[in-house]
Amino acid sequence: MKEFKQNDKIELKVGGNITIKRKLGEGGQGIVYLVEMNGKQYALKWYTHVCTKDFYDNLDNNIKNGAPTDSFLWPQFLTVWKEKRFGYIMALRTEEYKDFSHFLLAKVRFASLSAMINAALQISNAFRELHRKGYSYQDLNDGNFFIHPTSGEVLICDNDNVAPYGKNLGIAGKCRYMAPEVVLGKTKPNADTDRFSLSVILFMLLFNNHPLEGKLIVAVPAMIESMERKFYGSNPVFIFDPKDNLNRPVIGIHTNAIRRWPIFPQFVKDAFIHAFGSEGIHEPQKRKPENEWQKLFVKLRDQTVKCSCGNETFINPDAADSSCLNCNKSLGKPLQLSIGRSKVILWPGQKTYSCHTKSASDHYREISGEIIQNKVNPSLWGMRNLSSDTWIATMPDNTQKNIKNNEVVPILKGVSVMFASGVKGEIVE
Amino acid sequence: MGLLDAVSIPRRTMVLFFLVDTSGSMSGDKIGAVNEAIREVIPEINDISSENADAQIKIAVLDFSSGAHWIYDKPVEADQFVWNNLEVGGLTDMGVAYKMLNEKLSRTEFMSDITGSYAPAIFMMSDGAPTDDYKKELEELRKNKWFKVGIKVAVAIGNDANKEVLKEFTGNEECVLEAHTPEALKQMIRFASVTASQIGSKSSGVGIGGADDSSTKADDFTKQLKDFTAENIDPNDVQAGW
Repeated sequence: MKEFKQNDKIELKVGGNITIKRKLGEGGQGIVYLVEMNGKQYALKWYTHVCTKDFYDNLDNNIKNGAPTDSFLWPQFLTVWKEKRFGYIMALRTEEYKDFSHFLLAKVRFASLSAMINAALQISNAFRELHRKGYSYQDLNDGNFFIHPTSGEVLICDNDNVAPYGKNLGIAGKCRYMAPEVVLGKTKPNADTDRFSLSVILFMLLFNNHPLEGKLIVAVPAMIESMERKFYGSNPVFIFDPKDNLNRPVIGIHTNAIRRWPIFPQFVKDAFIHAFGSEGIHEPQKRKPENEWQKLFVKLRDQTVKCSCGNETFINPDAADSSCLNCNKSLGKPLQLSIGRSKVILWPGQKTYSCHTKSASDHYREISGEIIQNKVNPSLWGMRNLSSDTWIATMPDNTQKNIKNNEVVPILKGVSVMFASGVKGEIVE
Repeated sequence: MGLLDAVSIPRRTMVLFFLVDTSGSMSGDKIGAVNEAIREVIPEINDISSENADAQIKIAVLDFSSGAHWIYDKPVEADQFVWNNLEVGGLTDMGVAYKMLNEKLSRTEFMSDITGSYAPAIFMMSDGAPTDDYKKELEELRKNKWFKVGIKVAVAIGNDANKEVLKEFTGNEECVLEAHTPEALKQMIRFASVTASQIGSKSSGVGIGGADDSSTKADDFTKQLKDFTAENIDPNDVQAGW
């Protein structure tokens, strides 16, 4: 069927009409238009190929259940059928959000390490919430994400192929992003296979390279279907596999992976070595659950500080000295807040969150405290209470102080802080 | 280079080939439609390529009449490709075209990008019958591994086109379209080029059944072409046009 033109009207399943304003873009599955309804603008995704009733019903169901989180650009209303096709409308994303493929194509870059980490956190969290609601993604690839380069906020699109566990819509995704057992046709997509896809996306987010594409891949002249099934299905080899160097990144080609792998702390590398090692590839149930990825990125955020050169770098909490990755300046061994299993590096601008200071909380966005510098004497640092709870700080000489909202705990070795409901942190070297 | 600066993720190359019959009989609105259609589709191919993190798309054009010749001496990225109108005149040396295509479908020739390639898409258009001994060259071409795995589509322009010959080229009848008017020809060129590029330049779909019965890109393309034909081809065109 022909494309819609400006001012064409389409009826919605619930009644009422939307008016086509202009075409926004096109993909393999459909065309996206800017539309208006009752004075408000939306995006209409219209499928260009003949659709099935199953697909329609699944979308209808998803619409009724609502989005798992705000990060999902979720279908809001279905249209009626037209020539065996249909569409749905969803919120418009603003232009500051860029396609993930633009990051991969180096058309856009993250403003800071924090933005990159935030994006990784959000994507991990989004998948966690999706799975918690009993859905699985089934067609994860680089076209699904839009990311704000400065904040790292993420919008997840193309939620058409989200379906409850165990239900399949006939869409299975691209070899490059799908779990090996799906590539080989052994299983249909599900939450375990989603977790593999998530680890691929996270790797590409951090390293701007595919985890399974190194020397072996470059040596394949024609990447035909049988070769894809081999390298993404039956014989995948991680480019940084410590036991197998056959697929190492190639100098001059896999530049990003080569530059960036050394930068990240070992615990991050270990997570990817596991994800693309024997267990991650062959044992779907042993893949890292999304909340573990979330904790990993919270930990990475805890170790991210801003150097005086203006760029961010990682501090190793166990090393006697850390150097700025950008300017090489020595940053010494800053004090840390040891709280539960976390070690939050205490550095101006660093924040604590509810996941640190509240018991049994995994809220990684709710800020509870912030490290500040004394304006008069910048060598004095403190931790400002940004939560609504009153903290109790115990000084090295055992005196205690109540620290209410907006008040400050001095950062000194040996100070301990009782946060809400029994969570205790201590400032250590 | 700052920590967060990056080069583009390495991408494979997919080459989209156009083989265009520029024999004398293509003169007038036939070559007019071809010229216009290809000129107009190139920016769309460029859009697909520039947003695609799996592959970049390059274009190669061979025109054939008495003899054949490549417009550029290697495939060119869509955003660099300048289309100059093809001129017509002469015979229909399809055999020579096949021979030259066969030569270039090689890792040392047009499929030589260091990051590797995806299977090519090859689009043949002709309004007549070959005037040279094409069978031998076609037989050789069909042994070429790149040719075997490529997406192949042909348009028979007008009633005088030899559809059997084009079927031999594509290997299946569903990938031979018939155009009887300039509008139809332009529509087909656009649809086939855009669809072949979209399918060919992405990592393969994993399929749903077992590994054996998952479809190939060529199958996906054929299916989309069938849907397109069913919806867009007007049988009355045959009377109305070429």
